[in-house]
Amino acid sequence: MSERQASGGRILFSSEQIHHRVCELGRQISTDYQGQPLVLIGVLKGSLYFLADLSRQINLPLQLDFIGIGTYAQSTHQKGIVRITKDLDLDITGRHVLLVEDILRTGLTISYLVRNIESRQPASVKVCTLLHNPEQQLINVPVAYYGFMIDRQRVVGYGMDVQEEDRHLPYIAEISRSN
Amino acid sequence: MAILTISRQPGSLGDEVAEALSRRLNWDLINRDELIRRHLKSLIDPQDYHFLSESSKYFNYHSESLNMTYMQYLEQQLLKAAESQSMVLVGFGSQLIFADHPEAQHIRVIAPEPIRIDRIRGRFGVSEQDARQILVTADRRHRRFVSTVFSVDLTDASLYDLTLNTGHLSIDACVASIVAIRQELETMQRLKSEQIQPDVKLNQNLVPDFKHPAEIEFARILDMYQIEWKYEPKTFPVEWDAEGNVTLAFSPDFYLPQFDTYLELTTMNQKYVTMKNRKARRLRELYPGIHVKIVYKKDFQSLIERFSGQEASHE
Repeated sequence: MSERQASGGRILFSSEQIHHRVCELGRQISTDYQGQPLVLIGVLKGSLYFLADLSRQINLPLQLDFIGIGTYAQSTHQKGIVRITKDLDLDITGRHVLLVEDILRTGLTISYLVRNIESRQPASVKVCTLLHNPEQQLINVPVAYYGFMIDRQRVVGYGMDVQEEDRHLPYIAEISRSN
Repeated sequence: MAILTISRQPGSLGDEVAEALSRRLNWDLINRDELIRRHLKSLIDPQDYHFLSESSKYFNYHSESLNMTYMQYLEQQLLKAAESQSMVLVGFGSQLIFADHPEAQHIRVIAPEPIRIDRIRGRFGVSEQDARQILVTADRRHRRFVSTVFSVDLTDASLYDLTLNTGHLSIDACVASIVAIRQELETMQRLKSEQIQPDVKLNQNLVPDFKHPAEIEFARILDMYQIEWKYEPKTFPVEWDAEGNVTLAFSPDFYLPQFDTYLELTTMNQKYVTMKNRKARRLRELYPGIHVKIVYKKDFQSLIERFSGQEASHE
């Protein structure tokens, strides 16, 4: 990987640190689900690399799917509503589901997704997030696994973007102030 | 009256904590032997008395003379006594007898096994192997009693308000912790009895009258996520003067019923943030069941930016 750090400033987590932690999470999830089949659902687009790496460290019967959300303006005067932009392809009724997110801050988005997933009557829904800041969390969501705790800084890389740039950086960096 | 129940592992110093607590609070200390001695010894013959000391099953036996089981009678006597006196109760499933008592707190005292073994060796002058055996037998007897009489596992953590580990805490530290909790609850009780609590105002029927544009923006974001909200539904008094007049109150901006959480926005300058943090801290201290979170300016701006024409992911 090039040494270019386009929008990223200080590296918070190197690719080695991420790999090590993702392996740990994979082992923990494999142990916790005790051989039960699991559906991993990645939240687009930020969880892309995390989901790819994590899924390869899980020793369980596994299926993968993605979900994407965005906003839909109801009128020019309103902010609109959150909507599903990419829905699940799999039927998750009666299945154990693990939602995989890149970063959890306020919890509003993941809470929306958990409610959406729960309405499809899975056997269970848990959340696995790579980055987590409980101090910023406004509402309770079932975070079962997290990779790293972070502060309030904005971050980029390993799937996370600045205006769609730099998702492909193999590490996670703080966004420099010029951005 | 107030009740403290102490469930303890053998060798955890739970009895010593209970004794020290009883002295400190000047409350009666009642353990299983004392309970039977007080309430049953004069009513039953020596053989039954002996069986009760030896067998947990015997507590469930129906007594002809009492016309109920021994345990039912003891529960009845204890609940009656609790109407007029505060007590420290040790063992015999008292945490279950008083599980729903409004003024009871339930404490579990534990210690790591190697430390418990050392204590038993010190107390009885036995080998490590014998101490371990004593511990296993005593643990089994405690669990069997609660399991036989109440059909409950006494190690279930949800039975207790507080668990203290004497592997790390001294008896004095344990007593101080329990007393501090009691004092906090007494303060809450006092506030309640002085009818300060009813000052909490319910505003939920009012039409939202937002005070700041940021609140309108935030309400929209909650709408987008289809999260039900109420605007300033309650006002909580948080400080009073010596005469009990409210000197500081806190009306969090939003209440989210689905999450039982209050949110307060801070989008203004630092001096207001400090005041809001103070109010939120006081609210948490005075109303422990209330969940309140502060939405800081930076977090609020991130939320706004997220919806300025881009996807709602990366959250």
